[in-house]
Amino acid sequence: MPEMAIQTQKLTRRFGNLTAVDGIDLQVAAGQFFGFLGPNGAGKSTTIKILTGLLAPTSGSMQLLGVDFAENPVEVKRQIGVVPEGMGLFERLTGSEYLKFVGRMYGLDRATTQRRSEELLDFMQLADRPKTMIADYSHGMQKKLALAAAVIHGPRILFLDEPFEGVDALAAGALKALLARMTERGTTIFLTSHVLEIVERLCSHVAIIHKGRLVAQGSLEELRAGISSEAGSKTTLEQIFLSIVGQDGTERPQLEELSWLM
Amino acid sequence: MADVTQSVNVFEQIRLVAGLRWRILRNSLRKKNNRLDLIGLIFTGIFSGIVVIGLCFAFYAGAYAFLSRGRLEWMALLFWGIFLFWQLFPVFVAGFGASFEFRTLLRFPLNLRAFYIIGLAYGFADFSALASICWLLAMTAGAAVAKPGVLPAMLVIVAAFILLNATLERLIGSWLERLLARRRTRELFLGLFVLSMVSLNFLSPLMQRYGASARPVFLRVLPYFAWFPPSLAGRALAAIIRLQPAGFLLNSALLLLYLVLFSALLWRRFAAQYRGEEVSETAAPARTAVRPIAGKDHGPDRLSLLSPPVAAVVRKEFRYLTRNGFAYLTLLMPPLLIMIFSMNFAGRHPTVGGKGVSADIFFPGMMAYLILILMAPAYNSFAYEGRGIQTYFTAPLRFRDVLLGKNLMLVSVLSVEIALSIAMLAWRVGLPSAHMLVATCAAIIFTIVGQLTVANWSSITFPRKMEFGQMRGQRQSGMAVLVAFASQILMGGISAVILFTGNWTGNPWLPAEAFVLLAAAAVGGYFASLDALTKLAEEKKEGLIEALCR
Repeated sequence: MPEMAIQTQKLTRRFGNLTAVDGIDLQVAAGQFFGFLGPNGAGKSTTIKILTGLLAPTSGSMQLLGVDFAENPVEVKRQIGVVPEGMGLFERLTGSEYLKFVGRMYGLDRATTQRRSEELLDFMQLADRPKTMIADYSHGMQKKLALAAAVIHGPRILFLDEPFEGVDALAAGALKALLARMTERGTTIFLTSHVLEIVERLCSHVAIIHKGRLVAQGSLEELRAGISSEAGSKTTLEQIFLSIVGQDGTERPQLEELSWLM
Repeated sequence: MADVTQSVNVFEQIRLVAGLRWRILRNSLRKKNNRLDLIGLIFTGIFSGIVVIGLCFAFYAGAYAFLSRGRLEWMALLFWGIFLFWQLFPVFVAGFGASFEFRTLLRFPLNLRAFYIIGLAYGFADFSALASICWLLAMTAGAAVAKPGVLPAMLVIVAAFILLNATLERLIGSWLERLLARRRTRELFLGLFVLSMVSLNFLSPLMQRYGASARPVFLRVLPYFAWFPPSLAGRALAAIIRLQPAGFLLNSALLLLYLVLFSALLWRRFAAQYRGEEVSETAAPARTAVRPIAGKDHGPDRLSLLSPPVAAVVRKEFRYLTRNGFAYLTLLMPPLLIMIFSMNFAGRHPTVGGKGVSADIFFPGMMAYLILILMAPAYNSFAYEGRGIQTYFTAPLRFRDVLLGKNLMLVSVLSVEIALSIAMLAWRVGLPSAHMLVATCAAIIFTIVGQLTVANWSSITFPRKMEFGQMRGQRQSGMAVLVAFASQILMGGISAVILFTGNWTGNPWLPAEAFVLLAAAAVGGYFASLDALTKLAEEKKEGLIEALCR
């Protein structure tokens, strides 16, 4: 039995009458590169917010690295890194100042924080703007900085909400290599992205959430095996996704309704 | 094949823009958090209505009186009042308007002419424009009742004056928009604005000292004002009453010349915007200094007494303080205000005949005033965190560390400010008696620490996002303002009563003893509250994040 990095039991979150996350049971083994997929409004970001302590669940429980989040949130947070929706940066700091701030918030000593900040800024190609405030960074630069801040303390689980959005191809390539290397060394990466090709290329395991419910979970091979297809093992993640999420026929936009546009 | 849209009538587009502005205002009030703002808006609306209607009567009466008594030159004063209000009020109240970027209309299929007309019409939707037009109509009515024959000329002058003011106001607005698009300029402007407001307080003492010598200079400059639009409007009106058609034509022509000039300049500005002028700061600066960042932060940690998260928050708060032009000014204000107040009310200044308010009253009074000003931001202390607030909830720390860090920074700033102010007071007015000095210092600790507990609670419960250097839409939550107000009245009231017990009981050291006890209780209460506030922050984190990440 592999060590579990993330486990949830009947995790539920309601906003008034809306159930955004409806009793999901996630199981992510340590060291997995895990893709969390779903259409817009399915509950992906809400789930990530719950798993990272930004949102309290209405009911259900979760354990990260075997530690119950509700019982010991500080210990759990020490082990995880997050690039939240909107990145969560303090825009009036410079990149270097922000990384040092985050490093110290995670309890790193000053020398380690300083060294890691410099290395991360170099790696992210942000070191040439030491006096530029984050507010003046481009979106891609902010994304890279948010990623750097998420890994500065060497987390054992990394939550990434659309990490490659707005990042140039060169940096994205380097980041993907870094993330792959981190999973090889045992870090669990929990990633959401709308770009299914990226998820297919990077992730070994995938879960699909739809209308707040977990509708599929497993390795890519298991998901491929789960759907009937003439193409068999050559089924792409996009086809899997569409076959699962679009099963009830309500998700696909009906092009016939836009006849005036064609 | 897609349909092709038909060209839309300019007036239909104006109607659409007016509808858009209305819906933006209405929708902004539909949010739950903004209910109190709606109440505030209703009160403001009623108050503004009373002011506008009241001044309508004043302008009517003024125009009637000046014309019926033959004081024709004085009409220019009324035009000057309206002119200054119309041009300055939009700058002063920029923070109260519903935010709407006029330039966003450029995405729609408008030609430059339509863009110009909509831009001009947009200027008529401002409170200053509506109020000014009401007053000009009231003036016209007053003039027509006093001298019915003047009505046609008055209507022409007023129409030209309205168009000129609307054009100039949009011109100033579009230039300000261009200047303020850059953050640094915005902060500088805001700083200068606040500084100029503060410096108005110096007018009275300066006039008392230099008024007599400045008078001839002022009289020498005065005739030049005759060439400005309000004077021209007044002179055109006076000329028509005196049956001097040449004078009327000359002044009207000059007024129209101004209108043409402003219109041409506004056309230029709008044309630049229409062509896609980029005014905001771009993501990548043109020139960057490439240099390594290593090797400059390895010295001993000056905050080593604090835990790493608290020290990190203190450092972050300090950096935010140094990058907030407005905050800098609030630091400059206390010594400045002490100087102003000491000039006006206290001490040995000749204007108070050397018999100002005694230092024993002035000193605690000024300290209370400083705390009132400097503690106000603490009631919404997360205002400038923005999306960064999420870091506090994803990092492995208890929220008490965040509160401690923020409060420590604030207390440090307050200490410096109070020390500076005491030095200023000692120089200007002199120090109070020893028992009053000790009592006031203990009272300062009591009121600051006592307020910090309430302010922390308010910051967590009623957060409202604010942007550095922004003037528009920068308002505290209505509830946070009420809490701050109530808390400060309570603290101030308690302190005032205790201070006076020294006089009532004949024991001058009694207030000092009472305040030392209260200060100790406040400090104990503050530390006891931190865990409860940490729990509260956990409960309120969704609202906090939602409000600040908006």
